Amino acid sequence: MNYALASLAIPFTVALLTLLLQRRSEANPIVPAITVLATAVSLVFAGLALETQAVSGAVSHLNVGGWDSPLAIRLRLTPLKALLLGFVALIHLLTGLYAWRAKPKIARDYWPLSALLHTSLAALILSADIFNLYVTLELLSLSAVALVCLSGPKAYTPALYYLLLSLGASLCYLMGVAVIYGQYGVLDMTVLAGIMEADHSTRFALLLMTAGLMLKGALWPLHLWLPEAHTYAPTPVSALLSGLVVKGPLFILWQLWNNLAPEALAREMGPLFAAGGVVALVSGGWSAFRAPFIKTLVAYSTVAQLGYALMGLGLLLFLQERIYAVALWLFVLAHGLAKVSMFLAAGEMQTLLGSKRVTAMRGATQTIPITMSAFAIAGISLIGMPPTGGFLAKWSLLEPLFTQANHWPWASGVLLGTFVSAAYVFRAIALGFYQAPMSREPRHFDRVSQWLALLPALLVGLMAFAGQDLIAWMAGVTQT
Amino acid sequence: MSPELLYLVVGATIWAVGLGGLLLVHHMLRRVIAVNLMGSGVFLVLVALAARSSPPDPVLQALVVTGLVVAISATAFAVRLASARAQHSSGTPEVERPGGDES
Repeated sequence: MNYALASLAIPFTVALLTLLLQRRSEANPIVPAITVLATAVSLVFAGLALETQAVSGAVSHLNVGGWDSPLAIRLRLTPLKALLLGFVALIHLLTGLYAWRAKPKIARDYWPLSALLHTSLAALILSADIFNLYVTLELLSLSAVALVCLSGPKAYTPALYYLLLSLGASLCYLMGVAVIYGQYGVLDMTVLAGIMEADHSTRFALLLMTAGLMLKGALWPLHLWLPEAHTYAPTPVSALLSGLVVKGPLFILWQLWNNLAPEALAREMGPLFAAGGVVALVSGGWSAFRAPFIKTLVAYSTVAQLGYALMGLGLLLFLQERIYAVALWLFVLAHGLAKVSMFLAAGEMQTLLGSKRVTAMRGATQTIPITMSAFAIAGISLIGMPPTGGFLAKWSLLEPLFTQANHWPWASGVLLGTFVSAAYVFRAIALGFYQAPMSREPRHFDRVSQWLALLPALLVGLMAFAGQDLIAWMAGVTQT
Repeated sequence: MSPELLYLVVGATIWAVGLGGLLLVHHMLRRVIAVNLMGSGVFLVLVALAARSSPPDPVLQALVVTGLVVAISATAFAVRLASARAQHSSGTPEVERPGGDES
């Protein structure tokens, strides 16, 4: 637990410290260095927490300030939560390194805000109290919206829509919390898990909370704010938003339905989630296929890919088999890494090719091969082709579906999603293999930032080599 | 009808009115107010739930205080963002979403 707390406290301290350091001078050159270094330390602590937690398989609790229930704010650490802490720190580290190198320079407020985003995600992961989760959700949205605003006046409109919708969504969630507390008089998730009953007011509360979380997590059909907000944000911010921010509400949704909800209600809800996932895959994929701009393509692909996660959740609730939990979290990890790589590559292409359009990628394999490989490897993982993490995730989703004949609609849904993903990814990659136009020589060529865009893609590729071991290990981690 | 039940119903109604406003109204400042109405509705429900027991449930009152802090900071941010957006987009604060729907 102490390691996990350190992983939470470090970014928080850094956020405050960087705010103070930046007060006087215009842009303090130490600030990015401090933030990136602290993120690395936070990653190490999350790794230590995961090691102790996964080895013992134990679940630890902490009552903040020593208060006892019901006033206590309880933190809870499970192996999965430790893994997610590490994942959050890793993605922050990768994007932080890129933002440090980025040309043109990113706004100086990026550093304290991204540290705050890291803090709120870590707090969201550790909280075991449905009201405290509301507070962390608000923190997460506020820092995410502030980060979107960094790209200047053109981002204000999408940022404001994002803010208002997510405030409304939080209040839907809070209304659900009020109904639950009114009925059971408890806010702690571990206590609630044992006592919830399948009656009307519980169902109403869960639906309210689900609607709020689905809007915040951009899960179909409540995803409409996402493409604009993710497109207009600065490149490292888009990577953080797609890779991490939408996964926070998803994690709460998972805990809500998997741990809290009575099994009868969960079984009812499962097919709806899974069907929503299939529609998200197809409609998001189609919009990505039609997208005129590179970043819009990547943003719509997030909508589509979240469909896989929603399907994993729906099938888990419906069929009650543990393997779908493994599939769901493998998706989150693989998608996070691939999407960071893809957004960073898209940002690099915008700077190097001098155009935001997908058609500008013509001949990119010859002019900017490293960036193009990042885009391609990440894309292959999104489609779910071997040897990538995306393939592992999809395989653990498909394998149990293939063994039973009556699950064919779900299996064909996954395959249809694969087909659509392949369409939008290959549309972009194919353009890269055309003859490069001679006049368009890249202007400033920063090898390091190109490699930084490739790095997450290589990591998601490496996931495949762990293969069966990784699936078995994840099965243990997602148990609690 | 007991006073607690009355407050519960009023709170839920205010929340629903706020939700409707957020979804149907296009003027940005009105939407910010709609979100605030939703917040006030939830807080009223929480306080009404607290009043069911005597003495009133302190946990719920603590939740309302925390919620108020969150609401005021979020509102401040939203108002600032709305005014910055209005300044940068041709002056009027009543700009519709580009290509947005009518109602």
